[in-house]
Amino acid sequence: MIGQTYAMLVDAYRELNAKKLFWITMLLSGLVVAVLALVGIDKQGMTFAWFRLGFVPVNTDIVPRDVFYKGIFTNLGIGIWLTWVAAILALVSTAGIFPQLITGGSIETVLSKPIGRVRLFLTKYAMGLLFVTLQVGVFTIGSFIVIGIRGGAWEPGLFLAIPIVVVFFSYLFCVCALLGLVTRSTVAALLLTGLFWFMLFVLNAGDAMLVSFRESTRYVMEAHEERIELAERNTVRLLRTERENAGESVEGYQPTRQEIEDRNPFLAGLYTSLEEDKDDLESLEKWARLVFIVKTALPKTGETTALLERHLIDPDDITPPEAEDSNPAADLQGDVEVDQDDLNARIQEVFRARSVGWVLGTSLAFEAVVLLLCCLIFRRRDF
Amino acid sequence: MPGEMAIDLTHVAKTYKGKVHALRGIDMRIHKGEVFGLLGPNGAGKSTLVKILMTVIRPTRCEGTMLGHSVGHKPTLGRVGYLPEHHRFPDYLTGEQVVDYYGAMCNVPRRDRRAKTGELLELVGMGEWAKKKLGGYSKGMRQRVGIAQALVNDPELVLLDEPTDGVDPVGRRDIRAILARMKDEGRTVFLNSHLLSELEMVCDRVAILVQGLVRAQGTIDELTVNKRRYEIELAGHDAAAAGPHFTRVLSSVGLGEWKGQDPPAGWAGAKRLASGHAFRIESGTLHVQTAEAGEIQHIIDAIRRESLDIRSIRPFRPSLEDLFMEAVTDPTTGKTLLPGAASNAKGGRP
Repeated sequence: MIGQTYAMLVDAYRELNAKKLFWITMLLSGLVVAVLALVGIDKQGMTFAWFRLGFVPVNTDIVPRDVFYKGIFTNLGIGIWLTWVAAILALVSTAGIFPQLITGGSIETVLSKPIGRVRLFLTKYAMGLLFVTLQVGVFTIGSFIVIGIRGGAWEPGLFLAIPIVVVFFSYLFCVCALLGLVTRSTVAALLLTGLFWFMLFVLNAGDAMLVSFRESTRYVMEAHEERIELAERNTVRLLRTERENAGESVEGYQPTRQEIEDRNPFLAGLYTSLEEDKDDLESLEKWARLVFIVKTALPKTGETTALLERHLIDPDDITPPEAEDSNPAADLQGDVEVDQDDLNARIQEVFRARSVGWVLGTSLAFEAVVLLLCCLIFRRRDF
Repeated sequence: MPGEMAIDLTHVAKTYKGKVHALRGIDMRIHKGEVFGLLGPNGAGKSTLVKILMTVIRPTRCEGTMLGHSVGHKPTLGRVGYLPEHHRFPDYLTGEQVVDYYGAMCNVPRRDRRAKTGELLELVGMGEWAKKKLGGYSKGMRQRVGIAQALVNDPELVLLDEPTDGVDPVGRRDIRAILARMKDEGRTVFLNSHLLSELEMVCDRVAILVQGLVRAQGTIDELTVNKRRYEIELAGHDAAAAGPHFTRVLSSVGLGEWKGQDPPAGWAGAKRLASGHAFRIESGTLHVQTAEAGEIQHIIDAIRRESLDIRSIRPFRPSLEDLFMEAVTDPTTGKTLLPGAASNAKGGRP
């Protein structure tokens, strides 16, 4: 049994080794690490090789050197390179594994051996993940060395990128395997997986947008509530003063809502705005909840890769540029001025509040269901 | 052990989607140590049967054993070698790696694989190509490597599906020699082939599969015993003149009657001698149904008594091709049965 698995592992390596795309991707990964090594940061700002990038307003006062490199690693290295470019190349390289396996003349040679179909399928599946494991492994080791030397932080947590990216890729690869088994075509499997990935991307973008709108609306609503509270308080004080000036007793006097509204004409507008905000928020919450439910059933590619950033970067390490204090309720008239940093922090908080268990658990549950389906098909099919 | 079965199948049936009956109840026995040939026209179900044995296809119904275990018992496959038809071994592997990889998949220990790989590649004539990738091999070379990988687990039973496909005459001779060696080593060989002459040369027993049913099964002698005959031609007489002479001669040796019996298979319309053998006169030639020379001596004596000259006396034994053609011919219409499996229940018993 171990001998069979080892033989399949060696075979998978030989197959990868025979693919030019594997080595091209590996070379490109090396280049990305080299670019990471050429980027520098000091008190004056950023540098690239021996050129100073004066137009980038970032220096070590704002972002510590190690956080800067870890940020580049997670946002560009993982966020763009490994989870987009390298993932596409990996899909192109691995999409043919199952269609080729079940091709007439090929499948007989393995099914006729003393190995169960389910084990054969799952071992081949694991070998497919070997491609991305090697890619991300090499990239992470290179980045670990660069961040250690250039950033001065020997961060073992960086190696968390390997399981995270492999898990992220496995969400797509399981779908690709299923489609490959069903269609028996590499091209169809690749294109349909791309479509599935695009659908996830749209769903993620929709989720991010809805959360952003919801938080923005909530922010504005809270500002309106504060404005109303302030305006009501001022109006009550004014009414009391006027009553005192007219020689009437203010003892136990509490103006009615109608009196307050009559005295302050701006309040009606604020009430209307608040009602509109509440309606908008209710609608946005309904849609955000719906998208959240749909996302729960599907793999969460974006959130999975974001786990690394959660682990590596503490937002408190980054000192935001000094901003003027603004009180959203300071002006009673006009649109609410949104403090973008505050709003972004709120949005980030929403995403960070989504537990690792939810992100990974539900995604892996999806993968398990897809793999179960694959196993059923592979086990029952005549070749 | 004599009489022990390597493969013992009963009621093997396979119906594909669309009610295509590929196999309609196969009963087949293959003894240990024999070379068994399975033949049949395209679509007869030969490959389906082999794939069922190798667990590539799941049967609709199957009772029987292979090497003493139920068909489908995975561990048993470790004792079986298999060369599929139109196999595709990965191009990125060398001949040596192919043999090693499939050996490992059969749970052959690494040390044994190392020892056997070179030996087997030498056996199939691919020793010099062992370290070259399959991408540069010809079809015949791939076939040879395929045979080597089928033997890496030292199998008791070897199933070869069209082993000489794409192989040149020299290669075919080599493969026949390998088959003979396998038989000498006591292995059971199951051959699936279109090449009837090849099968006739190497097989102990054959089965003819037509439209998902076994039409005939046995040794070639067993299958031809009722079809052997002697053919006698007279000298100096054309076809028209020879007929009456033969009629006179046979009358003198004594004619019999079928008495409600049917003539033997393949002798429809034939008459009967007093000795019980069927005979017919066709194109001036006398055909007598017998495999024994002694049984035509009295006819020869009678011909000589009539002062007739004999041009030739030939024993005739049908070839495998004759048997095959007979099996694929509808006895009622005389037409060749259509290739392919029956596509509905009317095709025969389900």
